[in-house]
Parts: sequence; structure tokens; C-alpha cells
Amino acid sequence: MKKILCFLIPLAFAISCKEAYNVPSPSPPTGYLVVEGFINSGDGPTVITLSRTTKLYDSVDIVYEYRAQVSIEGENSETFALSETGNGTYTSEQLSLNSNEKYRIHIRTQDGKEYQSDFAAVKSTPPIDSISWKRENGVGIYINTHDPLNNTRYYQWKYEETWEFHAAFPSSLKYSLDETQHPYAVEYRLPTQGTDTLIYKCYQNINSTSITLGSSEKLAEDKIFLPLLHIDPGTEQISVLYSIHVRQYALSRQAYLFFDKIKKNTEGLGSIFDAQPSDLQGNVHCISNPSEIVVGFVEVSQEQDKRIFISRDQVPDWGYATGCVEIALDNNKDSIHKYGEDLMPTMPIKIGPFNSIVTFHAAPRICVDCTLRGSNKRPAFWP
Amino acid sequence: MKLCRFLYFAFALLLFSLTGQAQTSNAPLISGHFTQVKLAQLLEQLEKQSGYRFYYDTLQFDSLKIDLEVKDQTLQAVLEKVFKNTGINYAIDQQKNVFISKGVVVQTALPGGYFGNTGEKRKDTLIVNTEVEDRKDETVNPNIALLENKLFTIGEVNSANTGGITVAGYVRDAKTGEPVIGASVYIENPRIGVFTDQYGYYSINLPKGRHTLLVQSIGMRDTKRLLLVQGDGKLNIETQSEVLALKRVIVSAEKASNIKSLQMGVQRIDIKTIKQVPVAFGEADVLKVVLTMPGVKSVGEASTGLNVRGGSADQNLILFNDATIYNPSHFFGMFSAFNPEVVKDVELYKSSIPAKYGGRLSSVLDINSREGNKKNISGSAGVGLLTSRINVEGPLIKDRSSFIIGARTTYANWLLNLLPDQYKNSKAGFYDINLNINHQINKKNTLYLTGYLSNDRFNLNSDTAYNYGNKNISVKWKHIFNNRMYALATVGYDHYQYSISSEKNPVNAYKLGFDINQAYFKTHFNYNINSKHTMEFGVNSIFYKLHPGSYGPTGKESIVVKETMQAEQALETALYISDKYTVTPDLSFEGGLRYSMYNFFGPYNLNNYAPGLPKTEDNLLGTTPYEKGKILNTYSGPEIRLSGRFALSTTASIKAGYNTQRQYIHLLSNTAAMAPTDIWKLSDPNIKPQYGDQISLGFYKNFKSNTIETSVEVYYKRIKDYLDYKSGAVLILNQHIETDVVNTQGKAYGVELLIKKLTGKFNGWISYTYSRTQLKMDDPTAGDFINQGKYYPANYDKPNDFTFIGNYKFSHRFSVSLNTNYSTGRPITLPIGRFYYAGAERTLYADRNAYRIPDYFRTDFSMNIEGNHKIHQKTHNSFSIGVYNLLGRKNPYSVYYVSENGVVNGYKLSIFGSPIPYINFNIRF
Repeated sequence: MKKILCFLIPLAFAISCKEAYNVPSPSPPTGYLVVEGFINSGDGPTVITLSRTTKLYDSVDIVYEYRAQVSIEGENSETFALSETGNGTYTSEQLSLNSNEKYRIHIRTQDGKEYQSDFAAVKSTPPIDSISWKRENGVGIYINTHDPLNNTRYYQWKYEETWEFHAAFPSSLKYSLDETQHPYAVEYRLPTQGTDTLIYKCYQNINSTSITLGSSEKLAEDKIFLPLLHIDPGTEQISVLYSIHVRQYALSRQAYLFFDKIKKNTEGLGSIFDAQPSDLQGNVHCISNPSEIVVGFVEVSQEQDKRIFISRDQVPDWGYATGCVEIALDNNKDSIHKYGEDLMPTMPIKIGPFNSIVTFHAAPRICVDCTLRGSNKRPAFWP
Repeated sequence: MKLCRFLYFAFALLLFSLTGQAQTSNAPLISGHFTQVKLAQLLEQLEKQSGYRFYYDTLQFDSLKIDLEVKDQTLQAVLEKVFKNTGINYAIDQQKNVFISKGVVVQTALPGGYFGNTGEKRKDTLIVNTEVEDRKDETVNPNIALLENKLFTIGEVNSANTGGITVAGYVRDAKTGEPVIGASVYIENPRIGVFTDQYGYYSINLPKGRHTLLVQSIGMRDTKRLLLVQGDGKLNIETQSEVLALKRVIVSAEKASNIKSLQMGVQRIDIKTIKQVPVAFGEADVLKVVLTMPGVKSVGEASTGLNVRGGSADQNLILFNDATIYNPSHFFGMFSAFNPEVVKDVELYKSSIPAKYGGRLSSVLDINSREGNKKNISGSAGVGLLTSRINVEGPLIKDRSSFIIGARTTYANWLLNLLPDQYKNSKAGFYDINLNINHQINKKNTLYLTGYLSNDRFNLNSDTAYNYGNKNISVKWKHIFNNRMYALATVGYDHYQYSISSEKNPVNAYKLGFDINQAYFKTHFNYNINSKHTMEFGVNSIFYKLHPGSYGPTGKESIVVKETMQAEQALETALYISDKYTVTPDLSFEGGLRYSMYNFFGPYNLNNYAPGLPKTEDNLLGTTPYEKGKILNTYSGPEIRLSGRFALSTTASIKAGYNTQRQYIHLLSNTAAMAPTDIWKLSDPNIKPQYGDQISLGFYKNFKSNTIETSVEVYYKRIKDYLDYKSGAVLILNQHIETDVVNTQGKAYGVELLIKKLTGKFNGWISYTYSRTQLKMDDPTAGDFINQGKYYPANYDKPNDFTFIGNYKFSHRFSVSLNTNYSTGRPITLPIGRFYYAGAERTLYADRNAYRIPDYFRTDFSMNIEGNHKIHQKTHNSFSIGVYNLLGRKNPYSVYYVSENGVVNGYKLSIFGSPIPYINFNIRF
């Protein structure tokens, strides 16, 4: 229904109907415990992140919870301890859980309060059938999965996008700096006089920030075909090679509703007919003080994942443009000082006697040094 | 034909006297030769030559033949000659009117000191000396047609009535034959008065003797009839509409009716007033004007959901000629579903709800449409930026039956095409059609047929298509048994549906449907026992059939499973009786009792919950199937309607009322505004009916000969078992909806002030309301508390509300209107903190409705320009030009926080955030 909002704007001949707004009244200090993560019944360790809620406007981004004691408890009273691994994370060894048992998380925070989640049954996650994509002006990426037993029904996905991108201009040159650290001439970066791939070829990596949920509740088969995300045309993502790694989790209905509520509360607001936000009740409770708010839903699940690649060749007429422009400069101090101080040299234009560089091209740093926007470390999975 | 002749003269006289044409001061001289001419022909000639007007009874003189020869004589001399020795008298007044009568002399001037007692100075007062002995109050204005001077003898002389005598009849518009609704029909001494009902029918109890019956109504000229009441009888009264007025006319807008009427908390607005109020896009809007009344609020601009005295939007019974309209809005709530060309007036009952209405807690909004013109085919059409409308009306059988048909449509698609590419596939539109036919079978029986059809569809960027509509039809029969009693019988069928479909993703392509059907039967009797008691009684019965949701696949690839929620059916029956008891002219009471019974029927599979535990999915034990026709459960109870009035003086009164209400159908919504996708739910064993009661007190005072009305009303209201949603409720296609809603208890109170001036060059009203509405959920057996079981403000709790509506008429062709509205911002749930989860910052919510959005303030301006007022031209044109939200204030509709790219941002959303100019062209034919 969000579209109604945008639709109403021009209808009302209004220039803008949405503007930034901050409530003048200060929000109270909260500091409630936030528990994120799941008990991993599949391969890999269990990672639980503990943090605290903060004021609506606060200088800190995330307040992690340190020095807590976290353990996984089974109904049959087996326990597995998790050890603190920095930034509020608590990690276990690879667990071998009994799929007929129920498990929960138990937390004792530094201030002595005890928290635990409700016991949850082990849910197995069906593998991802495929990740497909198609051109829809840009590219739409879809998830396909199914559970032949028809009993998964509720799904959550997280994804990580990685792409290779190149600087707008390759560079074989760098400035020579005088004692005051000002450039006075250019020199080759490498003895081979070739281009420096370390600043030309980079990788960018982002994690999903929205909660992606799916349900086959109303379908005859437990079969999912849902859009995950849309890549706008001409963007850098598919300027060279793009990859998406999708992780899939089976959810219980309660967990699905919990995540859906977070999603509605934080992503789905702003139009006229939206549901109003509501308070959040997960399955983690404070035993020491039952009325204390705790945010979090801890499930016993496993992770299934899949990765696909999309290369530039597969998306003809992608229309990527860097918007970068090179200028030509004389290789002397005055010229560089006057025009080239904030630029980076790229390639020589005119070579003089003794292989000296007479004139060269230069461009803004962001167009030359890809490490300003990404990492030049090639990911292990990159082909 | 006699009547027609009279009417002709009535018109002529009005025109003549009001235009104030300059006449030469020298009396014109008359010449002519007439042999055996009828008096009528002669007088016609004399009118032509002299410029004087003649008034006489054609029947009385139709046998008279005249021979006459005159040359350059004055009129007086001519008349002297004509009527010599005939026993016919004539009288000439200063307005050049000549009254011809047999045996009686019409006096055109009063004896000196005649009004000595009252001290009033009146000029040109005329006395008609009739057969009856002279009476001191027998004074009438000479500028009113002879009808008003004629003595109507009602009933037989010998009729042996001991108590009061009933005079009944219709008040109709002389030009169109349409009934005049809500006209005040009264005598002044003793003070006895009634109002015409929605058929223009009145029935008044009068003592024997001579009376001056006065008739006043909005938009019509005041009129009166001289009665000699001897026994029960009928009197139909035709009144002139204001259109004839070329000079200043004082319109008595229900003069003093607010003082005299028993009801309190009633607002009546006629379409003329509605059309003067500027609204967005210039389309006269019934509901938007109702919103300017004290005690009526809405959550925001794109909403026509009304909140009356702290009630929710579903607690209003919206009746359009007896048909229940479930969704009264078009186009995301920007227009109301009622075509202004067809609407006659609107009545809103906020506190003393008559016993004949029931089924909703807060209010009854009764919208009456016009009856068609019974004399000529006529119509009107209007063109606006977004909508066009047309209506045609006329007689089917002249003076007996008429029709009116109105239609509206929108062409907003052109606007959508101007939008950015991403919306190029959007479509939105609506239409509505009204049809009314009425037929007078004979003097005692009249039939009315009403049909209404509306449809809205919108499709934003071809993703999901929405569609909703109302369908209503009803037939009503009015039977007059005698002057004291009449009955109405109505049968009808109402239908409301919506559907949502999406075909974007072939695997999930679906269509979701919802509908409500109700068939009803109503009988209503009105029995005028005597001058002290008027009784009303009847039966209402509604059969509901609700399909709470069907969800199914569309297209071949779709693997959506068809899911149909089981239908709900119920019967609501109510018996009612009420009596209006006039103790003395100053003190009167009305007491009503309505007993309503509600049966919920099978076939139905009822969810069973563990007793004493909250209704949650965990406590759902199973279902019990019930066969078709089997009653699952019955709710019933009395509803009390009491009101009383005490007149402190002729211009002031005090009123008090108490009433209780029950409501068996609920709107479930967790959105702030009334959304087209909200669902209705019938009460069943798991969902209790709502119950409310209200006590109110009002003080009314009129100033400046009743042209300025003021009132103060206070009320306190309790609401039981109002359904609010639980946090994170799923309302659509929920097989166990009772687990997602919760019964709340509410209280509402407030004070409403109104100053209204509906006459004069400057007219309008100012209203101010202070009110609170709070709800509470503290029943531990019903689940988690909302806000720890404390009172929390309802969504529409806006304590301060101020409205000013003003119109200034520069001339009859040009007027300007300004309205201003201020209200406290509505409550909203805002985050109290944030946290980091699933890769992004998230907001933390706690107490519901703990904050408020900024206050609301808006000013609108419009100008109405009318073409000339010549009555005999083919079409009449008018323009309205205006600006909505003149100051361009960005009034927030909501404030919300979203997580965008991992960061929480706050936004304020305004719907009409800048001035919106509009223009409308109307044509009447």
C-alpha cells in the first residue's frame, strides 16, 4: 500500500508530502536486552549476538552486551556453553543436537539477570532449489525452493551481495612528492611500467539489511517462488561480475510472525492504510523480572545456502557509466600544482626523449583508486 | 384550476412586489369599450393599461358579464362604474394591488393605534375581513399571496371532537412538487409545532377554532395558512422556493426549531449549505461538511470515516434513504460516496437517537435524497477537475410520480498519466449511480423506490488491483390510515463487497474477496394520539449474510489454494415504541424503548476455547459444527431512549437525554484510517456485541429573532466491548479472528459549543469541541494487557477541535466562503528506542498511542459565481473556484519511523501539503 502515498503526492499537486521529522520529545533510556541468532542444528557453529536497545537518538550505533554467560539447554538437560567472541557475539562449537529434542538458550548477563528462550523444536531447512534471475529493466533475483514434505511453510532468507568492479581508469603512474608532500612530477608505479591492478580491480560486499520472509501457507504445495531483490539498471553491481549468496532458514509460525512484525514496524510504515506499529513479543523472557522487555526470537534451525554469479556479458545494454572524466596535464610542477593537486595520474600521453613523460592523464581519485570504495582482496570464492 | 389561478397570482404578486418596479406617480388613465365581457377579461385589460394587479376568486365571478365604455378615466372611477350595485367591493392598496371581493370589504389600512399594544410600527398592513368575527391576531402581510389570506375550513362543523383535532398533509415545493423535509409547521398561540418528515408529511394537533398555521423551512419562503379548525382534516401546503427572490429575502432556516425540537445533538444540513463549503477538488462533499460539526472528527484528510462523540468509524449507521452504506467513500476517502446533486439534506443524530434507529453505538447519519421534480423535466450537470456528474429528474405522471437519476464518474486517469514512469500503469476511478422513483398511488398510498450503485477500482502500477462497491435497493410504501396515523413499510437489500487481486507473480496470482449482504424489512407506525402524545412504533429486521473472505488462484500457473472462510449469518430484530409527551408547551418528554434481539445462525463451525483462558491459538480446543438454521447463540437486550426539553423562554431551552445502544456488527481494522480492505465481523459466541450508553445535557439560546443559534452540549459516554486489535493482528483470512482482537472498555466525554447563523449576507457557523476518548484493556482472561491495562487514548482522540465556516454574499451572483479548522494532533504510537537486528537498525515500540502528531490547521477559500438569475432561461450556470489548504500548511497525517539502508529515519507524511486550487463548472437545466 506504500504506493498510494507516492501516488497521492502528484495527485494533490504537492511538491512533497513526506519530509524528515524527529519527535521533539526525548525518548527514555531503555537498554533492554536484544538477542539475535539461532541454535544451529546443522553444520557450523551457533552464533548468538547480544546487544542493548538505545535511545532513539543516541551517539552510539550499537551497544553490545559483554561478559554474559550464554548456554544452550536441551529438554533432556544437556547443556552446551558458548564462548564470547567479541562485538557481543557468543559462539559455540559445532553442535550435535538430537532432532527429537527441544532446545533453548539461557543467558546470564553481567548485571546478574537471567534470561531464557522458550524451548523450540529442531526444524530442518530444505535446500534452496535455485536462485534465478531475469531482466526486468534492471535485474530481478528470485528464490526457488520447496519442501517435498510440505511442512516447512515459513522461510527466512539472508543474503550477501558481492561484486567486482573496476576503477574508471587504469593507472600506471603516481605522483612523485617533494619534501613538503606536494606532487611535482609523475613516475611509474611499477618497474614494468604496466598498470597497477591493486587499485584497478576491487570487490564490494554488502549484507542484506531488510528482513526477507516468505510463506507458502496459502499455497497447495510448499513451494516458494519469490523476488529477493531488484538491481537497478546501469548500477555498478553488474559492471563486471556480480554474485549473490543466499542463506535460507526454516521458521516456525511464531518466529515468522515475530520477524514479520519487526519488518512491518520498521520497514512497512508510512502509507495511509498501513497497519499501526505494535509492540514486539519474542520468545526470550527475563526470568529475574518477567515484566522486562526482551527483544528476540531464538529458534533451532539449520542453514541452507546457494551462490550464483551474473556477469556483465549476461546483461547486454546494462548501461553502466562511471561519470568520470580525465584531463591532460603537462608533467611539470606548475601544471600539476595548478590543476592536478587533487587528482590522480593515470596514463602517460606523450613520451619524450629517454622515455620521459611529457604529458599525462589525470582523474579524480575516486575514478582511479578502487580501494577508496571497496577492497582489493579477492574473495576466496571468486572465480 | 382555481388553485392554479391563485398560484399564478401568488407568483405574480411576489415578482411584482419584490422587484419594486418604479411606477409613475400619476395614476394612468383608462380607455376602452367592452361588451358582455367576462370580468376576467376586463380585469386583464385593466391590468395592462393601469399597471395595477387584481386579486379575486375566479369562480365567484365567472358568471358576471360586463358592458362598459370609458375614456381617459382613472382606475378608481372605472371600478366604481363596473361594480356599482353589484354587491362587489374592491380595495386598492399602496402597492397597486386591487382586491375584489363579494360582500366583504378588504381593508388596506389599519385603524390608528391598532398595534398600540405591541408597539410595533408596520406599514401597509392589510386586514381581510372574512365571515368570521374579527379577531385581534388576524393580521397578515399584504405581500403574501392570497392563499395566505384565504380561510381554510378544516373538518365538519358538527364533528364531535373533544380533545385536539388532527390536521395533516404534505408540504411541497410549489415549483417542483418535491416534499419539503424538516419544515416547521406550527401555531404560535398556544405554541404547538411539528416538523415535516422525510416525505414532507406533517400531522399536527390543534384545538378547535381559528389559527394561523405558520410554515418555515430552509431555502423556502415562510408561508402561513388561516385555518378554521372544526374537525380532522387535510391540508397540503405548497411553498415557494427561494429562487424567485430578486430582492432581499429573509430565509428562516428552521427558525427556532433548535429551541422547540425535543431532540438534542441533532444536526441538519441541507445541500445548499453543503455546496458552499470549500473542499479539496471542489466537489461538494456531504461527509466533509458533517465533519465540521461539533463532536464529529476524522483521523485524517484521506479518510471519510467519521468519529462521532468518541465513537469509532464503524459505530455510525450511515443510511441513504434507508439503505445502509458500509463504505461511504470514494478514491481513498477523498470523496464521499454521495452525489451532491441528488442529496437533499443530511441529518446527524449524535445523542437523542430516535428509537426507530438502532444497531450502531455512536450516531445515525441519515442522508435523504431528493424526490424528482413532479412538474417538469429538469436536470443539472457539473464538471470538475477529477469528476463529472449529471442528474436528470422529472415527472413520470405529472403531479403524481417522478424520478430522479444521478450519476458521477471520474477521469483521474489523465492525472495518473502525468505521473513518473513508475506509475504509468496505474489506474483509478469510480462511479456511482442513484435512482429514485416515487409514485403517489392515491391520496393515502405512496410508493418509493431507491437504487444506489457505486464502484471504486484502483490499480497502482499494475501490481495489485483493488475494487470495492456498494449496491442498494429498497422499496417503501407509505400508507396514511387517517390524519392521526400513518405507516411505512420498507423492504430492501444492501450489498457491499471488495476484492483484491494480483497477477504479477504467476505462481502466487490470487484474488481475495469479501462481501456483506443484508436484507431488511422495516415497518414504522406514527400515531398522533392527541395534542399531548405522539407515538411511534414498529419492527426492524435485518438478515445478515457475510462472506468474510475468499482467496483463490487466478491464472493457470497459480498454485494458490482456494480458501473460503465460512459464511456468517445472523438475524437482528428490533421492536420499538416511543412516545412524545407534551406536558405543557414549555415542557415535553420523549421516551423510547427498543428491544433488539440478535441470533447467530448455522451452518457454522464454531471455534471452542478453553474456558476462562485467553482466546489464543494455543487455547483453541477444536470446532463444533452447527447445521444450517441452527441458532448458535442469541444476544438481546433493551435499549432506552429518553429525552426531555424545557423552554426557558421563547428563545431559550434546556434539554437532557439518556440513551443506550447495542451493536452487533464490527469493523476490524488495525490501520489508522478506515481502509477499503477493513473487514466487518458479525458478533458470534466468541465475539460479544458492543454496548454503549450516553448521558447528555444541552442549553440552547437564539438571538436576533432566532437568526443566530447558539448551543452548548455536554456528554458522557461509556462503551463496552469495543473491539480493538491485538499487537500484530492478522485480520484478513483469519479463521480464528477472535484470537487477534480484544474487547476494550471505553469512556468518552466532551463539551460542544456551536454558534450558527444561517441567514443574512454573512452566514456560517463556529464550532468548538473539547472531548476525550479513552479505551482500556485490563481483563486478564482476555490475554495480554494493552498499555499495562491503563486507559489509553483512542486513535481519534483529538481533544481540541475548532471549526469556522463563513460565507459572505456580495450579491446574489457572487459569494465567497472561507473555512478554518484547527484540531489537536491525533494520538500515535512512536518508537521509544532502537536496536540493531537482522543487519539494520530497528525501532522499539511500547505503549500504544502514547504520542501525538503535530496539531492540524487548515484554511480553505472559495468563490461562487453564478450566472444571471433570469428564471425563464434554458440553463443556469455557475462556477466555483477555490483553494484548498490556502496557507499550504503541511499538516501531518502521520509520523512514522522506518529503517532505511540500516538506519532508522523519522518522517512526517502530509496528504495535502500545499495549496490545491480547483475549479468547477455547474449547469442546471
